[in-house]
Amino acid sequence: MSQRMTRIHLFGLGGLLLIAVGTFLGLFVAPPERYMGEVARIMYVHLPSAWNGMLFYLFAFGFAIASIWQHKPKWDALTVGCIEVGVVLNFLLLLQGSIWARPTWGVWWDWDVRLTTSLIMLLLFAGVLALRSFVQDAHRRATWTAIATIVAFIDVPLVYFCVRWWRSLHQVQSTPETVSSFMVWPLRLNAIGLFLLTIWMVSQRARLEMIRHQQEQIDEPARMAPVGGLENV
Amino acid sequence: MARQAWAVVRKDLLLEWRGRSRIVSVLLFGVVTLLLFSFAIGPDSVILQAAAGGFLVLALLLSSTLGLSESFRLEQEQRAIEGLLLLPVDPVALYYGKCLSNTLFLMLLAPVLTPVALFFYNVELGPTGFLQLFGLWGLAAAGLSAPGTLYAAMTSRLQSQDVLLPLLLFPLVIPVLMGAVKSVTLVLTGDPMSQIQSWTLLLASFAIIYWSLCGLLFPHAIEEGS
Amino acid sequence: MTDTKTNTIAVRTVGLGKRFGKQWALAHCDLEVRQGQAVLLAGANGSGKTTLLRLIAGLHKPTQGELQIFGLDPQRERLTCRESLTLVGHEHYLYSQLTALETVLTWARLGGGDLSTDQIRGLLDEVDLGDHRNQRVGGFSAGMKKRLTFLRTKLENPRLILLDEPFSALDTAGQQLIEEWVDGYKVAGKTVIVASHNLPRAALLCERAVYLKQGQMIWHGKSSDMVQQMGLAS
Repeated sequence: MSQRMTRIHLFGLGGLLLIAVGTFLGLFVAPPERYMGEVARIMYVHLPSAWNGMLFYLFAFGFAIASIWQHKPKWDALTVGCIEVGVVLNFLLLLQGSIWARPTWGVWWDWDVRLTTSLIMLLLFAGVLALRSFVQDAHRRATWTAIATIVAFIDVPLVYFCVRWWRSLHQVQSTPETVSSFMVWPLRLNAIGLFLLTIWMVSQRARLEMIRHQQEQIDEPARMAPVGGLENV
Repeated sequence: MARQAWAVVRKDLLLEWRGRSRIVSVLLFGVVTLLLFSFAIGPDSVILQAAAGGFLVLALLLSSTLGLSESFRLEQEQRAIEGLLLLPVDPVALYYGKCLSNTLFLMLLAPVLTPVALFFYNVELGPTGFLQLFGLWGLAAAGLSAPGTLYAAMTSRLQSQDVLLPLLLFPLVIPVLMGAVKSVTLVLTGDPMSQIQSWTLLLASFAIIYWSLCGLLFPHAIEEGS
Repeated sequence: MTDTKTNTIAVRTVGLGKRFGKQWALAHCDLEVRQGQAVLLAGANGSGKTTLLRLIAGLHKPTQGELQIFGLDPQRERLTCRESLTLVGHEHYLYSQLTALETVLTWARLGGGDLSTDQIRGLLDEVDLGDHRNQRVGGFSAGMKKRLTFLRTKLENPRLILLDEPFSALDTAGQQLIEEWVDGYKVAGKTVIVASHNLPRAALLCERAVYLKQGQMIWHGKSSDMVQQMGLAS
C-alpha cells in the first residue's frame, strides 16, 4: 500500500477514535441540557453533521469551480465525493432533527428555518447526483455536475433567508460561550472527528471515481500502415 | 453581443407566433391545474380565497416548466442550436436571447391565468392590483427563466428531460416561489404592514444573481468541448 | 502533404483522435491543408470523415492530439475560429416554421449583419429558391434544404469551407451549382475541405485527396491518382 494511501486511512481511524471519545463524553460524562434534558444529547451528532455537511458542500462548490477551470478528472472526482458524502450527512441531519423534534416539539416535522433549508439543500444536491447519473460522456458529466453544483450552492443563502422570513422555531444557535464546557468538548471532538472521517470517505469515493474514469479510457488503436495504392480498398 | 441576443429573441418570438398551439396548450394546462387545486381543497370559498395566491403561483410555475422544456426542443430539431454556434453566435448572447424570450413567454401566462384564478376562487381585484400582479410575475418569470433556460438547454439532450428539468428546477426556485406566493397573496388580501417590498427585493435579487451566474455558465453547458 | 501555393496553413492536425464512448472514431490523424487548397476526404461510412470535419469546426473536443485552424486552437479561440469557417454538414440547422426568406434574414442578423429583402431574394435566386422564398422550410425537399443551407457559405464569407457530402440529395442541376460555387471559392483563395462518397465528382473539385479507413488516414495524394487507382475514371 502506498504511503499516501496509508496516510489517508489515518484520517479515517483518527476520526473514528475522536468520535468514539466524543460520543462517550457526550452520552455519559456531559450533564443533561437544562431545558431539554437527556434528549438534547442528540446534538453531539446533530450539530457535527450539520457543520460538516455544510462544509463539504462548500468544498464541493470549490472543487466544482476548479473542475470548470481546469477540466481535470481529479476535480470532478472530488466534487462528486463531497456531494455524495454531503448528501448522506444532510440526510442524517434531517433524521436526527426529526428524532429531536418529536419529544421536544411533539411533531416529527416542523417548518423550522434550518430544517427546511436543510431539506431543500438535500433536494438540490440530490438533483445534481440525479443529473449526473443520466450523462454518459465523461467530459460532459464533469462539466454539468460542476455547473449544477455551483448553481445549487449559490441558492443556499437565498433559500435560508427566504425561509427565515417565512418562519422560525429553531433554538438560537449555540456557541461554546453559551453552553457548559462539559458540552463543548464532546461537540468539538465529534465535529473534528466527523471532519476527519468525512475527509477519508470523500477520498475513498474520489478514488473510486478516478478508477471509473480510468476504466472508461480506451487506448487509441494501433496506427495502421499507409497503403501504396487504393486498388484494393 | 446585444444585437445577436436581440436576433435570437426575434427568431424565438417569430417561432412562438408560428407555433401558437404551444402557448395555448400551456395555458390550458395552467387552467386545468387551477381546477385540480380547487378539487383538492374542496368548495370552501374561505379557504380557497386565502390560498388563491399560492395556487395561482403554483399553476404559473408548473406551466412555466412545460414552456421552458419546449423552448429547447425546437433547437434540438435538426440540431439548430449547433447551427447557431457555427454562425458564430456568441453563446452568452444566445443565452440572454433565449432567457429574454422565455421570460416574455412566461409573462404571457399571467394575463390569462390570473383572471381564471380570481374567477374560480372568488377574489376581487382592481386595475392597480392587476398591474401589481403582472409586475411581480414579471420579476418571478425572470427569476424562473434564468436557471430554467440553463437547465432546459442541458436536459434537452438527455432522455429523461421531462423528469430531470422539474427535479433540478423546483428546489432551486423555491425563493422565487415563496417570494411570488407571498407578494401575490399580499396583493390579493391586502398589505397593511408593507411587506411586499421585502418579497419584491428577494425576487429581484434572485433574478439578478441568476441572470449573471447562468450567463457565465451557459457556454460551458452547451459546448461539447467545455 | 503540402503545396507551394501559399505558406499559410489553414488546418493542421498532429496525432488527432476522437473517441465516443468506447469507440475511436478518428485516430492518429496528421493532416496539413494550406490556404487556398481544396482537399477531398474519402472513405466508407464510419471511416471518420464527418468526425474530422466536426473537430475542425470545433463542435467536438479532441480526445487526443493537436488541432490548429489558421494557427489558432479552436477550443481556446472558439469564436475567432468559427468566424473563419463554415460547415455545411448532414444537419441542415433549419427551423421548419420559418420561411426561406426569414431563415436567411435570421442567419444574417445572428451573424451580426442585416440584409434587405432584395438582397435575400438575390441570394435565394442563386440557389434556385427564389420562387420558394415565402414557403416554410418544413415543406422543403431534402435537396431544397441542402441548397438553402449552402447559402451560409455566401453569407458568412469564411476563409475555410467544410462540406460534408455536399452532393447528397441534390439533382444534377443542384450538383452543378455546388461545383460552380466551390470553383468560385477556390479562385477567391478560400480553403475547401470536402468529405464525399461521390468520388469522381468531388475529386474534380479538389486537387488533393486523403483516404480514411476505420478512422485513420491510410493514403494521401493527388485526387486524380485516387480516381485512377480506384478505377473510377470514366
